Amino acid sequence: MTALNSILKGRQSQPHLLIEVLHDVQDLYGYLPEEAMSAVAQELGVPLMEVYRVACFYKAFSLKPRGKHVFTVCTGTACHVRGAKLLIDQVKGQLNIEPGETTEDGLVTIENVNCVGACALGPVVIQNGAYCHHMTPGKLRKAIDKSRGKKKKEERAHA
Amino acid sequence: MQQYVTLKIDDARVQAIKGASVLDAAMASGICIPHLCYVPVLKDSGACRLCIVEVVNDGRTKITASCTLNAEDGMVIRSNTERIRKLRKNIAELLVAQAPNSRAVQDIAVRCGVKEVRYPFRNDNCIQCGRCVRYCTEYSKANALGFVGRGKNRHVEFALGFRRDFCKKCGFCTEYCPMSVTPCGGSMKSGEGRLCGNCESQTATADKFTGVCVRCELGRGFGCVRQTYV
Amino acid sequence: MRKLKGLSNLESLRKKLLAERKRIRSTMIIPNGTCCQASQSPGVIDAVHNELVRQGLDKSVRVRLSGCLGFCEQEPIIVFEPGGLFYCQVKAEDAKEIVARTVKNGEVIERLLYTDPVSGKKVRTEAEIPFYQAQDRQLLNHNRSVDPCAIEDYIAIGGYSALAKTIAGIVPEAVIGEIKASGLRGRGGAGFPTGRKWAECAEAPGDEKYVVCNADEGDPGAYMDRCLLEANPHIILEGMMIGAWAIGASTGYIYVRNEYPLAVQHARIAVEQARKLGLLGENILGSSFSFDVEVARGGGAFVCGESTALMASLEGKVGEPRAKDIHTVKDGLRHKPTVLNNVETWANVPSIILNGAKWFAAKGTKGSKGTKIFALTGQVKNTGLVEVAMGTPLNRIIFDIGGGSKNDKAIKAVQTGGPSGGCLPVGKFDLPVDFDTLYEAGAMMGSGGMVVMDEGTCMVDVARYFLNFLWDESCGKCVPCRVGVDRLLEIVTDIAEGRGRREQIALLEELADTISVASLCALGKTAANPVLSTLRYFPEEYAAHVDHKKCPAGVCKALISYSIQSDKCNGCGSCLRACPHDAIDGRKKKVHIIDEKECRRCGICVGECKFEAITVS
Repeated sequence: MTALNSILKGRQSQPHLLIEVLHDVQDLYGYLPEEAMSAVAQELGVPLMEVYRVACFYKAFSLKPRGKHVFTVCTGTACHVRGAKLLIDQVKGQLNIEPGETTEDGLVTIENVNCVGACALGPVVIQNGAYCHHMTPGKLRKAIDKSRGKKKKEERAHA
Repeated sequence: MQQYVTLKIDDARVQAIKGASVLDAAMASGICIPHLCYVPVLKDSGACRLCIVEVVNDGRTKITASCTLNAEDGMVIRSNTERIRKLRKNIAELLVAQAPNSRAVQDIAVRCGVKEVRYPFRNDNCIQCGRCVRYCTEYSKANALGFVGRGKNRHVEFALGFRRDFCKKCGFCTEYCPMSVTPCGGSMKSGEGRLCGNCESQTATADKFTGVCVRCELGRGFGCVRQTYV
Repeated sequence: MRKLKGLSNLESLRKKLLAERKRIRSTMIIPNGTCCQASQSPGVIDAVHNELVRQGLDKSVRVRLSGCLGFCEQEPIIVFEPGGLFYCQVKAEDAKEIVARTVKNGEVIERLLYTDPVSGKKVRTEAEIPFYQAQDRQLLNHNRSVDPCAIEDYIAIGGYSALAKTIAGIVPEAVIGEIKASGLRGRGGAGFPTGRKWAECAEAPGDEKYVVCNADEGDPGAYMDRCLLEANPHIILEGMMIGAWAIGASTGYIYVRNEYPLAVQHARIAVEQARKLGLLGENILGSSFSFDVEVARGGGAFVCGESTALMASLEGKVGEPRAKDIHTVKDGLRHKPTVLNNVETWANVPSIILNGAKWFAAKGTKGSKGTKIFALTGQVKNTGLVEVAMGTPLNRIIFDIGGGSKNDKAIKAVQTGGPSGGCLPVGKFDLPVDFDTLYEAGAMMGSGGMVVMDEGTCMVDVARYFLNFLWDESCGKCVPCRVGVDRLLEIVTDIAEGRGRREQIALLEELADTISVASLCALGKTAANPVLSTLRYFPEEYAAHVDHKKCPAGVCKALISYSIQSDKCNGCGSCLRACPHDAIDGRKKKVHIIDEKECRRCGICVGECKFEAITVS
């Protein structure tokens, strides 16, 4: 756990750094493992209950490992008015998961965020940190398929 | 040397220990202000909002929770106006719609004048008053229980969901939980707008409320602090 | 660069920097903020840079990366200095031509110019663009002149001279007096008089005091603060330094929401650079004033925009607000006196100190002084950041600057103030935008978010959207908000899904009133505003949903159906292939049909059909 130790170095007994430390842990592992939370509680001098509370309160933190591809749909007002809900519905129908969940094969995680501040370009979807703008349900479906390695949609042929 | 402050609550001159809350001052003087999350030995919460009162200052009225309001010299408080009663009734109605089969919550609803419930019933087994969490954290200092999550998903849980080992088995959480009071004898069914009969037998006393404590039976249900006063 | 030991060092540095800049033949300003990057500006920047190097021009032509210039629809943008030649929607492939023709020969490339949608004419320079002309860009204009990651740019344009002026000879009481006289009110939404806040904090007993910058900007649809912090972080630092001097604080925090990684980065770089120059730290500019700043990240919680929740978060705790019977100016961060102000509030401070309170108060209305930045978004042509004097009427912002409706649908309403605000109908667009007027009309100016809605927006859906947002973001501590908002959402969902009853409308209003008064914090207290304002101004839409089970705007899924028009469908099958729910049937070249039971109203087929044969009713 040396990577974790370097995160905690110099931050012992400083409870006010809890959120910053958890960000670093999340950046390191992609989520907050239980052992890491226990170590943070120990080093920072914060009850484990508090660490757990903070981890569950703030949306940035995930207690479960996330997928290889993370699609974050912006559901801010401007994006909503331009059809962000259709994007969420599209994803729910395509992958059968709710925002905040990961597909069974661990490939795709869907999240939603309440405004990333790129409102002029809405609807916005962030794919692994890259901002995709003026998204439509069709474009999103193709992007998700591509990330799962599906070349072309299995098409319904004409009768 | 104890220092005292003098304030007015519902036109009565009330003396309170400096540093006490307005709720403390009222209850000690025999003025009944309904409350739920307030417990004398714990830090005041201000979560249930049942204890709201009007604070009159320079002709302007502010409405705030009396349990988190420090009593100060010259304060003018009104705890039983029509506006306050209506607000309390609505808050109590929300509570009883969440947990209709809890005797304690029904007591509160009746005390606050709820006659019909206009929302579909849910059957939550926790109304998030916070007593268990605060006893565990502040009093027993075990930090075994805590509020986890936000908004609708907020609930009481052990650390990481399963760490019971922090529990010191002091028993305060169950002793002071309003939901662990013997459940009401009548059974509330969804769609029934009215409270069941068992508690309505208490309304005779509640209807005559002028804000003065009458040591009603209702208080027993939610552990009213007045029960402990001589 | 070495640490500045005194006021005169700052002046000499500025003179030196200005002399250096005179030697540069021309500058190409390329905005590279978050949105700009989403529009592929990095590709343009690389291409331009490479081409300049290839042509040996990289020493005499400077490429300055800037933050957002506000005209977001037209990104990527290049502005040439001197002259202000303005190219928009630039692609990386254009770089070669731009360097060869414009940079080398001074030629204008017509196709890259902005076309005014009203006159149809091409516009050459930034100053002639109608979108900019109608504004009063006191704060935003600085964005074009600085690279946010270069403190030298800020100093070159006069940055930190307000701080120097303060340290040289304005006592704290006088600073507070100036801010009071200016009439500056908090730009985060509540509009509390800034001077009064500072005065109360200065008077509060205690040696340890804090200044905090609230960059949590959680209102969806608002990104003014992101822009300011990304584009010109030093102006905020300077404002905070002056505030710290005024109230006697030696530590400051900038709390940035987690969803703004670039703003966090630029703020941290700015702090580092200021420290290196000695503008932060001990004995600033040779005085006895010591002050330092830390940049902290949020964790993703709208409620942390509330001052007590923000302070709890700065202390490493969950963002649960507390009762504000004792104000944070007396008992704030770590129970010490704290001044918390919004990003834009801090950004206004240096110019007030430099130009005087009278200058600031000359703009705006009686109760709302100065200029305000708005994020104009939604169904309007020119989306972007707009800065105008307080008191500018809504229709000037939406039609003159915004250019009117984005498509063929008429504008129906504007939503201001985020989830705490409300919706105003077109009939109210003559209202001036300031703190008090909109409030009386049942809306709120808020932090500056302005979302324009057209006939294709359902106002019941908008109410449901905001309630859902607040339901998700509520901290859950108090009953009126946690349970009340949940029940409001339940009722509005019933209405949106065709189960609404008349008596529910009255219940909505009564419950909304209870939540507004009894909630613990401002999130709860303002939670009912979207519902109340839509009920007030769009009762006919609620009536349609409740009494006739119809959604006039064609949005609420339970009340609409998709159908294919037989006279327009040519049987190409695009929709059939695209439908993820297999709800479309039909033979090749014959009219297709949508199965209503299977149709999920996802809208994909509408997007695929090239003949506009699919209608929503």
